[in-house]
Amino acid sequence: MTGLALRSVRHRLASFTATFLSALLGTVLIGSFATLVETANGPVSVADRETLVVMGAVVGGWGGLIVLFSVASTLAVAVRQRAAEIALLRAVGTTPRQARRLLRSEALVVTAAGAAVGALVALGTGRALLALLRSGGLVDASVRYAGGPPSLAASAAGVVLVSLAAASVTGRRSTSGPATTALRDAASNRSRLRWWRVVLGLVPVGYGVALGVVTVTVTADSTDQYAAMATSGSSSILVGVGLATLSPVLLRWSALLVRPALQGLGATGHLAAHNLTRRSHTLSAALAPVVVFTAGTIGTLMLVGIDARTLAVPVADGDTITLLNTVVTGMIALFAAIMVVNTFAAALAARRGELARLRLLGATPRQARTAVLVEAAVVAAVGVVVGGAASLATVVPFAVARDEGVVPDGQLWLPPLLAAAAVALTLGSAAAAARRVTSTGIRAGLAA
Amino acid sequence: MQQQSPRPADALAVRGLTRTYGTGPNAVRALDAIDLAFAEGSFTAVMGPSGSGKSTFLNCAAGVEQPTSGDVVVAGQDISGWSEARRTAFRRRHVGIVFQGFHLVPYLTAAQNVGLPLRLEGRRPDRQHVARLLARVGLADRAGHLPGELSGGQQQRVAVARALVAVPAVLLADEPTGALDTSSARDVLRLLRSSVDELGQTVVMVTHDPVAAAYADSVVFLVDGRVAGWMSRPTAEAVAGQLARLDDLAGAAVAS
Ligand SMILES: Nc1ncnc2c1ncn2[C@@H]1O[C@H](COP(=O)(O)OP(=O)(O)OP(=O)(O)O)[C@@H](O)[C@H]1O
Ligand SMILES: [Mg+2]
Repeated sequence: MTGLALRSVRHRLASFTATFLSALLGTVLIGSFATLVETANGPVSVADRETLVVMGAVVGGWGGLIVLFSVASTLAVAVRQRAAEIALLRAVGTTPRQARRLLRSEALVVTAAGAAVGALVALGTGRALLALLRSGGLVDASVRYAGGPPSLAASAAGVVLVSLAAASVTGRRSTSGPATTALRDAASNRSRLRWWRVVLGLVPVGYGVALGVVTVTVTADSTDQYAAMATSGSSSILVGVGLATLSPVLLRWSALLVRPALQGLGATGHLAAHNLTRRSHTLSAALAPVVVFTAGTIGTLMLVGIDARTLAVPVADGDTITLLNTVVTGMIALFAAIMVVNTFAAALAARRGELARLRLLGATPRQARTAVLVEAAVVAAVGVVVGGAASLATVVPFAVARDEGVVPDGQLWLPPLLAAAAVALTLGSAAAAARRVTSTGIRAGLAA
Repeated sequence: MQQQSPRPADALAVRGLTRTYGTGPNAVRALDAIDLAFAEGSFTAVMGPSGSGKSTFLNCAAGVEQPTSGDVVVAGQDISGWSEARRTAFRRRHVGIVFQGFHLVPYLTAAQNVGLPLRLEGRRPDRQHVARLLARVGLADRAGHLPGELSGGQQQRVAVARALVAVPAVLLADEPTGALDTSSARDVLRLLRSSVDELGQTVVMVTHDPVAAAYADSVVFLVDGRVAGWMSRPTAEAVAGQLARLDDLAGAAVAS
């Protein structure tokens, strides 16, 4: 089984590269912050310990949630796209159990390798992060880096375990049912969201909205200037992650809405419209990071802006808090951006055969690429709208709490700018991936 | 009704068609200066041992692959030197394709798959034209089904309907029955035959099956990238006998 897994990994390089990279980067991010917590347990002052733990646990924790979510969704895409191959293995006598074990072994091989490399990198980036805190005067210059095997191994293990769980859940779905129907259904995907996924999405949305309400009604009146930020700061990310979990339905509904407009674009619009509505699962993996990117960056940067404008008296912790917010935003933005690039690369590598088929039937390489770009444009538009809505969960309550009213007093250029960045990122990733898969000959593509 | 003309023109002709893969000592000459012509309204089977160049021939004829040298003339136009975009535009208008792997687009319904070549050309497929074609292949009641909801035989019949939608100069089929059971295979072969007899369609079909070849008007045999013989009015027995001899021939070539 391991031999087969190794060979299969080699065969599906593009999609596994995506999984590998997301495990690697995920471990780097979670690991870097985890080393701060480990450092906090060394000989440091109480104040420094608190700063390090807040940075490590709170910021790292939020980042970790997003990272794990992304790693899981990348892996789910990789597994789901192999439905046809799994069906074939089952047709030649592989039992569902063996097929699932194959999927889990592959996930283990790829993510363990990624997490191991990530842990090594985190050893360095954790040190750099601490150096940043020291040079910013946030912790005392005497604080010594104490990150090592415990925190890094725990981060790597967390990433691998979540990946295995994601592979198991998706694998169970793609191996249930008789082998023959599996072979046939492999191509199309009309399945609905599972109840647990709906719950998993609605809980953070509800929690984020509740925090927003608490901000307006309770913490706004608190004597602690940062109480309102504490309750509303993470709402946009929470709501964003929750909505991202529901992205398959969001994408399908939106695509149904814009379908008439897409049909007007001719053949490429026609293809994109039907792919979006009938196979929303695959493309929604790209939608999720766009939503998180938009929600996280708009929410947090607007929050920082409002804070800077309205802070009555400069507070001792002010710098740390601004730095924290900026680091969170930067981290989310970077990670989400990589996930967008990653998902398009993986999704389109798996569609090489289908795009070659379109070209065989008379689509020019340009038409094949345009169809992909139209799909990406819809993903970008839906992502920006949904992510923008999610960011309101932070922006509106915090602006109200700081007496700016429902609409903040400044930086209103920021949301459109970030939205434009999200759109450019999405279209750029799709264009690059599409160019790569349509640059080979048709016959080679059909055989892929 | 077969369209009667004094002397039917060639729907497809290749002259000196050569296709080499790779370079240097590893080069494979898949096609070696082939000359063939296929008259309008003819149904020709192409047979030969595995690796003899049959698929390469079809791919060159379809403009999917660029020949290394030689001419490919479809509907009177020499497409051999054209750019990929130009060959593609030409293919969707003048060449119908049915390959072994069905090659339907998984997220389009049967009717949408049939209309796709017209859409790619910027035309809106006529509903009735598509419905007639689906009825012709016996799938009038499956127009709204996705490929995943159709059997292999039904998918291949959709592919035949799609290949006919643009009224192509030539329909190229590569082992169209290779993945089908005997009765689905017979349905597909009858469809190809009736498109020749009733629509005057030109069909070139690669097959390994002597029974399938017997549906054609004539058979071309390829061995090692060269034409190794012709047979008109083929019967399954005669074709099988000829194939056995060709296998010996190819075997001798490998042994030498
Ligand atoms: N992309 C390629 N690169 C190198 N060699 C190739 C390539 N495609 C085909 N060939 C070689 O060209 C020769 C002819 O291949 P082709 O696919 O045309 O055979 P075929 O007659 O269709 O065989 P089969 O009946 O098995 O389908 C074979 O020797 C094959 O290995
Ligand atoms: Mg072949």
